[in-house]
Amino acid sequence: MTRVLVVDDDPQIRRAVRDALSREGMDVETAADGEEGLRLAGGETFALVITDLSMPNLDGLELVRELRGRSAVPILVLTVRSEEREKVRLLDAGADDYVVKPFGVAELVARVRALLRRNAAGAPRNGVRFGEVAVDLDRQRVTRGGEEVHLSPTEFSLLRAFVGKPGAVWTHRQLIGAVWGGGAGVSNDTVRVHVGSLRRKLERDPNRPRFFITEPWVGYRFTGAD
Amino acid sequence: MAGMDARSGGRGSKAAVGYPAAALIVGASVAILKAIPNLTDAADALGLILAVFLVAWVWESGPGIAAALLATAALNFFFFPPLYTFTIADSRNVVALVVFLAAGLAIGRLSALARLRLRLLERERGDLLTLTALSQAFLADTNRESLLGVVSERLRRALECEQVAILLANENGALASAAASGEGEVRRDLAEIAYHQGNSAAFPSELGGTDVYLPIPLGVHRVGALAARGVRRSERMAEGCAALVGLALEREKFLKLAREAEGTKARDEMKSTLLATLAHDLKTPLAGARASAENWERRAGASGESAAVGDALERLTRLVDDLLNVVRLESGTSRPSRERVSCGAIAEAAVARFGGALDRHALVVDVASSDLEILADPAQITEAVGMGLENAGRYSPPGSEVGFTVSREGRSALFRVSDAGPGIAPPERERAFEKFTRLPRDSSPPGSGLGLYIARTLTELNGGTLTLGASASGGTSFEIRLPAEPGP
Repeated sequence: MTRVLVVDDDPQIRRAVRDALSREGMDVETAADGEEGLRLAGGETFALVITDLSMPNLDGLELVRELRGRSAVPILVLTVRSEEREKVRLLDAGADDYVVKPFGVAELVARVRALLRRNAAGAPRNGVRFGEVAVDLDRQRVTRGGEEVHLSPTEFSLLRAFVGKPGAVWTHRQLIGAVWGGGAGVSNDTVRVHVGSLRRKLERDPNRPRFFITEPWVGYRFTGAD
Repeated sequence: MAGMDARSGGRGSKAAVGYPAAALIVGASVAILKAIPNLTDAADALGLILAVFLVAWVWESGPGIAAALLATAALNFFFFPPLYTFTIADSRNVVALVVFLAAGLAIGRLSALARLRLRLLERERGDLLTLTALSQAFLADTNRESLLGVVSERLRRALECEQVAILLANENGALASAAASGEGEVRRDLAEIAYHQGNSAAFPSELGGTDVYLPIPLGVHRVGALAARGVRRSERMAEGCAALVGLALEREKFLKLAREAEGTKARDEMKSTLLATLAHDLKTPLAGARASAENWERRAGASGESAAVGDALERLTRLVDDLLNVVRLESGTSRPSRERVSCGAIAEAAVARFGGALDRHALVVDVASSDLEILADPAQITEAVGMGLENAGRYSPPGSEVGFTVSREGRSALFRVSDAGPGIAPPERERAFEKFTRLPRDSSPPGSGLGLYIARTLTELNGGTLTLGASASGGTSFEIRLPAEPGP
């Protein structure tokens, strides 16, 4: 059974998240603050940790840092809207994704599933499919609806990064690090332009993307195959 | 400015010793030279020149000249034949005496000058050391009261004077005594002239030394006057002291401003933290309610009741967001960051965040000027532009077209959202920006009445304007203009 740890100081949230995930067949453990969460996470193995950002004793950001220091467990953070810098800090500290309060249950479950899928996938496969797109990572070939799509080397690196972490949010800095080697002089706008051309080549409606989603002022997310 | 020499009092006594000393030293030299047998005339002359040098070095010019004249006379009288008369037998000795006198005068002069230079240097070095010590002492004082409390006594010691008074101007420009040390009255009229006209005065003091009245400079202005009586140090030293007082006061003023700014910053940070906590505390029960309602709906199946709860919670969320935004804006903690950001990035973020409000509309995005850059807070502008997208979604019929364009208009970047809704009549347009205003637009779901107010405030915080107009299809055109940055 998939074990998930939920850390939040609000009992109603803990119960609601536990209900939602239990219905999906997951085994949910809860903690009321960061310290308790850290203790539980140290004692047994979880497939995923969901944590609130603002908590007494040990807050979400510190919990993410501590957890990331000892394991690769996927971490999903519950935040409130409007603090983009806080979100970037969380993701750079090692969180994989965030959900904004008040979140919809369907959205939460979808994010949890995406993160768990990635974890279960294990070693990166050499082929990925999403929508009508098929990617052959070994031969660097991409087809859409059976027809070959030509990608520039940068676009392909970007695609390789995205499909390697389906569901997770990439900050601009993380993408620049993964695709451009952290290259100086590469701006967020450079990333935006390349994501834009990936969308034009692979999305049905580039203005309303399904797979390469913008996280405003934070970065991008590849939603993966659903 | 009247001339001054702080040592003028010592000069008379020094001269009084110098002339007899000149006679004595020349006499002693003659006695020594006479006591040594078989000396040549040249050796005698050099011996006497040495005496002239010595006198000029110690007692400087006047006694030096006297020594040169005496030595010339002595050379003739004691050493040139016929001895012990001023008669000169050999006409060549006339030339020798003239040369000797000239050499004696020149050496005396040079020696005196060298000594004078040395003395001036030493005095300047002393002044510098005193000023350095004074500036270090002033730097240690970080507030006006403690600075003024000790400044006059420090200056009195530094200037070696009897009395110091510091007069500073109040807000009305009138001089008032701010610090004083020593007994007696200073002359107010001279202090006024120093402060108002910047003219210094210095004159011999009845207390010995000099009385000085100097302006206290602060940048290019003056803040008051420094009066010092019975000064034994140089006038330049006194000017240096006045400048130091000005600097110390200026530094104290800046420190005070810095402390105030620090306080404001700390208060703003506290407000921001409080607001963040408030946002979290308001959103958490909402999140619990929404998640619980959805769990219930999943268990029991969708119904009219569950949909009503969902709608109510969504509106409540929107209202809480808007109210938090207003509180943030009105608490003055929403200082915009100023980043160079492309309009394309803003358009992308706005559509990503607020495009959901247009899920049932045909959104046509045209970002012709994607590379156009503005200097603004990206998140705030995204929020403002997004308000236009949300309003278009709310007030225009489903299925209709909503246009979102970004273009250059003169020196501005123009973000425009146009819809095919009923539009807003021109007289109503400005009123729409007032807080809690809801225009009578049929069949539209009620908003908070804060959206346009927030959007305009955010836009104006970033140096832009937000106006409403008519779209080509008779609906509303929501337009944000921000100064465009010159291209790279």
